Amino acid sequence: MEIHKGKYRLENRNLNFEIVDDLNFNNSGCCFYFRGGNGFGKTSFLEKIIIPALKADNLPYLYIGQDIRTQLYTLRALLSIQGFKVSDTDEVELLRLWINRGQSASVLILDEFDKYFPDYGFIFDWSDAFIRTYIIVTHLGINRCEAVAKNYRICNLRFELINIDGRLKNIRVRNE
Amino acid sequence: MAIYNLDSLLDKYSGEFLILEFNHLFISSSIREEVWLLQRKNDSALIDKILQAAREFNIHEVSNDRDFETYSGGQKAILGCLLTLALIGDRKIHGLKLLLNNILDSVSEENRSKLVQKFEEIRPTHNIRLFTEKDGHIQEIFLGNGNPQG
Repeated sequence: MEIHKGKYRLENRNLNFEIVDDLNFNNSGCCFYFRGGNGFGKTSFLEKIIIPALKADNLPYLYIGQDIRTQLYTLRALLSIQGFKVSDTDEVELLRLWINRGQSASVLILDEFDKYFPDYGFIFDWSDAFIRTYIIVTHLGINRCEAVAKNYRICNLRFELINIDGRLKNIRVRNE
Repeated sequence: MAIYNLDSLLDKYSGEFLILEFNHLFISSSIREEVWLLQRKNDSALIDKILQAAREFNIHEVSNDRDFETYSGGQKAILGCLLTLALIGDRKIHGLKLLLNNILDSVSEENRSKLVQKFEEIRPTHNIRLFTEKDGHIQEIFLGNGNPQG
C-alpha cells in the first residue's frame, strides 16, 4: 500500500497535508516513526489516510490507539469471545495473546504506546515473524535502542506546521 | 509500565497528590463547562487566560466551547495542565503536589519544556511541586532548570 506524495485534505479536521515523498507501507521492511508537534495531525493521518488505504487494499493490520484503557478492555472482551479465559490475565499477556491471534496482519500500528510501556521491545519479538511494516507515533527519544524493531529499516517521518490559514493547518510530512 | 488504571492510581496516590491523568483529564466536554463546574460560575476571565496560554502552545483553534474530543491527545494534555495552572493562580493555592501521569510523554519535546516552564513560573509564589510515576516509583520533576526528569 502506497501513499503517494502530494496534497491531502482532511476538511473535518481542518488539516491539509503536503506529503513530500512517496510512502510505501506494504511489505516495506520499515519501522516508521511519526514525529512532530501536538495537533500536527499524526493520529489523523493514521486514522483518515493510512487505515482507509490499508482497508481499501485488504491489508490486515493491528492497531493500538492512544487510549490504552479502552483498548485493553476491548482486547479482553474480544479474547473472551474467542474462548480465552482472560479475566485475571495481565496486560502484557493480553497483548501477547492478541498479537499471536493476528498473524494474518502485515502492518502493526502503535500510537504513543511507549508512554505506557516504555520498553516495548516485546511487541517486536512477538510480531516480527509476520509484520512487514511498523508504524509508531511517539514523542519520546529518537535513539532508544529498546524501542526499535530489529532488522527493520528506521524511517522517521516528520510532521511540520507550515502555516495556519484561518482554522486550517497546513502540515508538511517528510522523511528525515 | 505506567499506570493507566484509574482505581489503582487513586488508591496509591490520591492521598498525597493532585493527579492529572492522561485518560481522565476532564469531567465535561469543553473548557467553558469545565471552568463552570470548577468555579461554579461562568468565569470568562479565567477562560480567557486559559485560551491565551493555549495559543502560546500553538493551539490556535482553541475556543471555550470546542469539544475536548476534537483536540489531539497532546493538546488535551496541555489544556489539562493550563486549566490546573489557571486555577492554582486564581484560587491562590499553595504547597500543591501535582502528579502528572502520562502527561509529559504525550506532548512534544518543545511543549514539554514550555509546560514545565509554566509550572516553574508559579513555583516561587505558590510552592508547587511536580511529580511523575514510573515503574511504581514516584519521581520529582525538579523545577528551576526547565528539564523534566524521567
